[in-house]
Amino acid sequence: MFLLQETIINQINFFVGGFSLYLAFFMAWIMQEERNSAVVTGFIAGFIADLSPTLEAPFGLWTFILTVMSYLLATNLRAALDAELSPVTMSIVTVVGSTFALIAFLVCGAILGQEVGSPAYVFQELCGNALWALLLSPIFVPVTISAYRATLTARNR
Amino acid sequence: MANRGSNRTRLLWVSLLVTSLFLITLDLRGVNVISSIRSGTQSILAPVQRVGSNFLSPISNLFEDITNLGRTNSKIDALKAENEELKSQLVLNQNIVGELEQLKGVLDLAGKARFKVVSARVISKGGTGTFGETLVLDAGSSAGIKRDMTVIAAGGLVGVVKSTTQSSSVVLLMSDPSFRIGVRIAGTQDMGILSGEGEGKFSLRMLSATGQLKPGDVLLSRGSSGDKPFVPGVPVGKVITIDNSTGQLTKQGRVMGFVDLNALGVVSVVVGNVGGNPGDALVPRAPKPAPTVTVFVTPQPSPSE
Repeated sequence: MFLLQETIINQINFFVGGFSLYLAFFMAWIMQEERNSAVVTGFIAGFIADLSPTLEAPFGLWTFILTVMSYLLATNLRAALDAELSPVTMSIVTVVGSTFALIAFLVCGAILGQEVGSPAYVFQELCGNALWALLLSPIFVPVTISAYRATLTARNR
Repeated sequence: MANRGSNRTRLLWVSLLVTSLFLITLDLRGVNVISSIRSGTQSILAPVQRVGSNFLSPISNLFEDITNLGRTNSKIDALKAENEELKSQLVLNQNIVGELEQLKGVLDLAGKARFKVVSARVISKGGTGTFGETLVLDAGSSAGIKRDMTVIAAGGLVGVVKSTTQSSSVVLLMSDPSFRIGVRIAGTQDMGILSGEGEGKFSLRMLSATGQLKPGDVLLSRGSSGDKPFVPGVPVGKVITIDNSTGQLTKQGRVMGFVDLNALGVVSVVVGNVGGNPGDALVPRAPKPAPTVTVFVTPQPSPSE
């Protein structure tokens, strides 16, 4: 998914902001995970996101953010939702979760001395990502669910 | 039992958080291993990005094309006629022709300033989640590209090389919010600082309280010590509006860049400056008006008169 994001998605000029398929996929995936594996998955996904060569933030920042997000999603939010997640719920959580993760990344980056750009630019990027995550969720949410189920089957074997 | 499971999750979570904070600390302290991990990733990604770029270049601007559809409706008839004419000329691939034009433009600019350049294709862009504006080029240290070298296109400045691997380089675009460059106004030589604000927007702040600024002023790079990160005299942009709000010590304005950073196919990295400071020689010339042909007709006496 990281490879797909870096080689294909990043090359498309979305007319409002951009779209992080990697982040959206991660959110949808983590919603289905058990608590322990969710935290570990969050850490690994964050570490992979930190590998992006175009990233200017300190290495480890995405690891930190996604580890926190995975814990919050897998414990607090997951407990508050139904046991059987509907695709609509997953889409909404994906959009809100990825937007929240981007805001957290931005705030932590700013605390660590990163330039974040004008409020209008940040707002456009956040809105663009949320919009595209919402529009494309009918495609990637079912794919994520199928992919997760496929790995579950492998694990059970 | 459930409590024990919860405690175990929390312990795991805290230990992973500490690990991530440890990684951040290492990176902020400038440990080489961390930066080489990213360089290594870029080395692995570059060939895949190159393939992706070749595959996606015809459709990467699809969304922009869709949004512009309404505006171009009125031109459709004219374009249809032009299209027929162009079809006969499409012997070469359109992308290659476009890249050749960009390459010719940038080489013209570099030649005029006597810059020694290495040209490279843009193979990828920085993504969402980075809140930064970057490009990846298909040439790296093996082509002589090093960190902090100026990157130019046909119109002028593009950005600066942020990092390199053997076969690729990451360029920080001039529209990135962290980008700052010292500029001077062509002609008056008043100096200022240009800042990127994302999405192709720029702001300019003059350094001196007496510095004059007016719409249409052309900005050139002031240059850095040892030509790193910026060589002098490269066109940067044009002042479009002046911020006249009171209470400012120096004048400020909005600037439009000379280069469309969303449509870059080929750029050049300045690896050497043979000719020194080109002064105002690279200021883009306004297009010359087409010469008007005047025909004088002398009346001839008709044979009947």
